[in-house]
Amino acid sequence: MARITIDPITRIEGHLRIDAVVDGGEVQKAWASCSMWRGIETILRGRDPREAWLFTQRFCGVCTTVHAMASVRAVEDALSLEVPLNAQYIRNLILIAHALHDHIVHFYHLSALDFVDVTTIPKADAAKAASIAQSLSDWPRNSRQEMERVQQKIVGLVQSGQLGIFTNGYWGHPAMKLSPEVNLLAVAHYLQALEFQRKATQVVGILGGKSPHIQNLAVGGVVNAINLNNPATLNMDRLYMIKDLLDEVIPFVQQVYFPDCCAVAGFYPEWFGYGAGVKNYLAVPDLPLDTASTTFDIPGGIIMDGDLAAVRRVSGARDEAFRKGVVEDVTHGWYEGKGPQHPWQGETIPDYTDFQDDGKYSWVKAPRFEGKPMQVGPLASVLVGYAQQHEGTVKWTNQALQRVAAIAQRPVTPDLLHSTMGRYGARAIRAAMLSDLAVRHWELLVNNVLKGDTDIFNPPNFPKGRIEGVGLHEAPRGTLSHWVVIDNGVLANYQAVVPTTWNASPRDEHDIPGPYEAALLKNPVADAEKPLEILRTVHSFDPCLACACHTLDVEGRRIATVKVL
Amino acid sequence: MSDADAPIAVIGIGNILLGDDGFGPYVVELLRAQWAFPDSVTLLDAGTPGLDLVTYLHGRKVAILIDTVTATGAPGALRLYRNADLAHLAPQARVSPHDPVVHEALQIAALAGDDPQVLLVGVIPLSTELGVGLSDTVRAAAAAASTVVVDELMACGVAPMLRREPMAADAWWIQA
Repeated sequence: MARITIDPITRIEGHLRIDAVVDGGEVQKAWASCSMWRGIETILRGRDPREAWLFTQRFCGVCTTVHAMASVRAVEDALSLEVPLNAQYIRNLILIAHALHDHIVHFYHLSALDFVDVTTIPKADAAKAASIAQSLSDWPRNSRQEMERVQQKIVGLVQSGQLGIFTNGYWGHPAMKLSPEVNLLAVAHYLQALEFQRKATQVVGILGGKSPHIQNLAVGGVVNAINLNNPATLNMDRLYMIKDLLDEVIPFVQQVYFPDCCAVAGFYPEWFGYGAGVKNYLAVPDLPLDTASTTFDIPGGIIMDGDLAAVRRVSGARDEAFRKGVVEDVTHGWYEGKGPQHPWQGETIPDYTDFQDDGKYSWVKAPRFEGKPMQVGPLASVLVGYAQQHEGTVKWTNQALQRVAAIAQRPVTPDLLHSTMGRYGARAIRAAMLSDLAVRHWELLVNNVLKGDTDIFNPPNFPKGRIEGVGLHEAPRGTLSHWVVIDNGVLANYQAVVPTTWNASPRDEHDIPGPYEAALLKNPVADAEKPLEILRTVHSFDPCLACACHTLDVEGRRIATVKVL
Repeated sequence: MSDADAPIAVIGIGNILLGDDGFGPYVVELLRAQWAFPDSVTLLDAGTPGLDLVTYLHGRKVAILIDTVTATGAPGALRLYRNADLAHLAPQARVSPHDPVVHEALQIAALAGDDPQVLLVGVIPLSTELGVGLSDTVRAAAAAASTVVVDELMACGVAPMLRREPMAADAWWIQA
């Protein structure tokens, strides 16, 4: 028996730690812990609600826009303030572009190397790699020359003995199964992906004024002045710059990322058998289509125990069941408090013990919905959409299942999506579906502007007394909710229940484990010294622990420790 | 020339909500307030970009990064690093998108053909606990850090101009 601790950064705050007891080649018990002390609301109390988003977008350097958006929505909800259509469409385009960037980066740069063994690439037949790539899609940059060029680059790295970014991979691991040719085409696309994620970020930058910290939001709308005859405002030139960028990013998503992800799934079908964990799913609706945010382009919902037929709709921020159902439990979190608390009443008073297996062991609170742990993220969003026959979700999900089945040469049904590989697949499905919606929201914006509507902002008025609101966003990592309490125009409480809090949640008062912890049970581990398979399942959730302190450690650090028990 | 096309980037890195970790963004604001820069230089408060730093390195010939560092020494002390000092650092296991830190972003950028000349101006923090604002010790190092940046730019053949009437740094997060 061995106890594995994966704790990439050992001396500073802000990171995820996974502990697992491994016996008989699989995980018997797991703990997810975050060393990040969460109390950002202490910074926000007493501030002007109109400025909260400037601070919340600093929670996390990777998810800046999502925390900005959830924050303005929360204050707008508290005020029952409608948002002009142009502002909705501009925000939606920013959210989609950010999500496309984020999903591309997750697949290629943060997780592909769990499945792709770079060190086999020198052995690859570049012509064969090109022909495999061409069999997967019509993407024009799958030529033999392209594969040869990338192969030479990797051969150069291997020969120099300086693997650079590829140092420290679990190369040669028995769980690595792709042929050298597939590894080569994956790395070719890894490099191309850098280009296209950047183009997606440019869309955010054009609309948001700046990237990574957008400047164009306001409680009540946006500050992008629209005037088709003014070179300094949002005009046709800028709108077509955005369209041109989308026209480059979308084919990459639909012709490269989506088929690549389906191919990896088809070559690793066993990963549909691991990592289901918590089969309760929560997703909120997003991409509002009206000024009051009552109709949306992607649906929200709740699925319990994997029962898609019994899906319940979440209608929006005013959904009573949602507003009442969310609580956070601190039984196993390093906080004071007894019993679950609703975010509006939420407190964050630290009570650090030490890592106690059966006591407190994480700075993450345990969010629960109607008492249950919930899995959030692209898989939740896709399942909730699929269960409600959402057109784009059904179309891309069916296409993904067919592609995987063709490669794996076995039937692949939607219930296999409750798995580690299902989470990777769902992210690609969502990216492909959002790509279609990017075009739609660009057209909605342009058509609305051409009709002569240039409204972008409704001024907020803060009443005397106490008001409460919640801002929802179905972010790349899943359901994000910001909960505000405003007293006489000043922030009295602020709680952010972030996607990774749902997924990386510790056990609750009934000792029920959170999604990571549950998903890791029975996860295979061939070699406790190289816990590649644990990383596959953890990475499938796309962890992002916000507001990480990231002090650069110039003196090196260790990756994982293994203790034989 | 747009910011994205400027061959020289001065990039402040750090989280303004975590005390001294906000040093990089603060120094960027201090530089903007006191100096005028030619179009070939862009200044960026990148927050905590993780892997997204690769995007901000794209197309640069020179990248001057200002960050907090974990190193032996007294809080407030500056430490300078160049490409060779960072190259030997091995990447670590990736768990979250925050994890790829500066040297890893440089390695990915290099793989994609972006290999800027790098100067990392690091400060040793006193406290990176939750809270806005720098400790006095670290704030006192900001002027010296900005001088290092200006000297480096001059060594690259760029001449920033000291503003006739320097403004206060627009560190909006500190002014409550």
